[in-house]
Amino acid sequence: MTRERKRRIEGFIALALSTLAALLGLFWLIFILGDVLVHGLKALNLSLFLNDPSPPGTEGGGLRNAFVGQLIITVFATLIGVPIGVLGGTFLAEYARGRKIARIISILSDIMVSVPSIVIGTFIYAILVRPFGHFNGWAGAIALSIIMIPVVLRTTEDMLSLVPWTLREAAFALGAPYYKVITQVVYRGAATGILTGILLSIARVAGETAPLLFTSFNNSFFSLNMNQPISSLTVTIFQYAMGPYDNWHEQAWAAAFVITIFILLLTITGRLIIKWRYR
Amino acid sequence: MAAISKKNPVDLIFSFVTAIASFSVIIFILGILYVLVSESSLAISRFGIIKFLTSTDWNPVTESFGALTNIYGTIVTTFLSLLIAIPVAIGIAIFVTEISPNFLKTPIGIAIELLAAIPSIIYGMWGLFTLSPIMSNYVEPFLKKITAGIPLVSVLFQGTPMGIDILTASIILSIMIIPFTASISRDSFNLTPAVVKESAYALGATKWEVVKNVVIPYSKLGVFGGIVLSLGRALGETMAVAFVLGNNHRITTSLLDAAATITVTLANEFAEADNDVYLSALFYLALVLFVMSFITLAIAKFFLLKAERKYSR
Repeated sequence: MTRERKRRIEGFIALALSTLAALLGLFWLIFILGDVLVHGLKALNLSLFLNDPSPPGTEGGGLRNAFVGQLIITVFATLIGVPIGVLGGTFLAEYARGRKIARIISILSDIMVSVPSIVIGTFIYAILVRPFGHFNGWAGAIALSIIMIPVVLRTTEDMLSLVPWTLREAAFALGAPYYKVITQVVYRGAATGILTGILLSIARVAGETAPLLFTSFNNSFFSLNMNQPISSLTVTIFQYAMGPYDNWHEQAWAAAFVITIFILLLTITGRLIIKWRYR
Repeated sequence: MAAISKKNPVDLIFSFVTAIASFSVIIFILGILYVLVSESSLAISRFGIIKFLTSTDWNPVTESFGALTNIYGTIVTTFLSLLIAIPVAIGIAIFVTEISPNFLKTPIGIAIELLAAIPSIIYGMWGLFTLSPIMSNYVEPFLKKITAGIPLVSVLFQGTPMGIDILTASIILSIMIIPFTASISRDSFNLTPAVVKESAYALGATKWEVVKNVVIPYSKLGVFGGIVLSLGRALGETMAVAFVLGNNHRITTSLLDAAATITVTLANEFAEADNDVYLSALFYLALVLFVMSFITLAIAKFFLLKAERKYSR
């Protein structure tokens, strides 16, 4: 075999393997999504959203408590996390721009984004659950907001940095103080980007389970009281999937379907906005 | 710009508020560290550091706790998942940057990103109900059969294939971390200057030789950073593993045995820890995990920053 031929064959094999790798990635995605779709659609019905769970082992019932609980926890996490994240990002991109402290905080935030969420759960357990003696919704919402803050902070910083400096100078020239320049000029220029960051951060925390296991815990009854344990879809999926009843498994699949679709829609929307606005 | 900001009192307040918001990140990190250390002080004083990290005993009844089985499970699953994920992820990156026709690049990029967006609880549930039966009925008996006579290798596949084991957990973990390594590798590959590649082509190199000898060496810092980042992710992944690893505090040589990782132990035992030493030992585990993953992620960030500096030059 000539050297030339050997190189050709080697190249062909390597490129074929790469193509196989890409197909494997697609295969997993289709496999997982398809599975969630098939099982989820089968179990999906109206009573899932309208009824509360029936006693274990009996047929029927729904997950109204979990849907509502998940919504409340996520909304409160967003209400706490987004303002802190946006303001923090503002500091890094505006007041501390180019300073060492801004770099340190952005690097730490990038690390925080990937810190195991279960560790944040144990942290919140120690400061917000144990002192009060019972699991509560607030602890869950705050745990999620701590996961959210670095995500929002980093996207805000990046998006504000994209706003041209000349725009700020134009506003300064009119005599506007810096805070007015930021709130009325810079924020407006970066609004879509910040919104995208918020969407993606909601998508990030909406599927979190580990930090909720020992903060908001779970509640098999309908509850709106954030001072008490509150149910969430993800923790319910965990308990139902691990549980012994077929009925539970079906409902877990349905819940998994709803939450997956919700998160994928948020993610795709976010990506599309970035594409449409920033490329 | 600082001069402008000092003049207006509202501006001073606004800058102060934003500063506090951004310092919250540092406060959280220090707060987590402080709380975990103080909560685990009971376990630290009782078991020490070396003894805790090297003891395989995990027994709530006798109140004797050591972390080694958890650390072992964490490291084995992480290592195995990287072993599976790295070649696949780099293959995907090569496909997307060098082979794929243009109209396929975006859809495949989006597909990989979606793989990263699926919540880990879904991976776990899918693993339990779909992958685990496939593993126990088909894959694991097959692996047992073909490795049966080979010394050393056959040790890895001893025991009854149950599907709830290290191998299944590692496969699920690998699927979860493929997107991170793949997208960072793709971005790094894309930064290779076209001129450098073209000159290699002009010398008569094949496409694979260009990838192997030009693109990968040029972007290795970024790729390495991506790998370490997904290593950090795999260390801390909880729900995907919690479903399919069992919770077995034993050091096993077989990949077909159940095991425990730090995260799985925390997820399963934290809410039911009924005495102070037990709870304190769990906080100690969380502390070990936090320190391990923080260091790993910091290393990843270091390499990615270094890569960024190199490419921007």
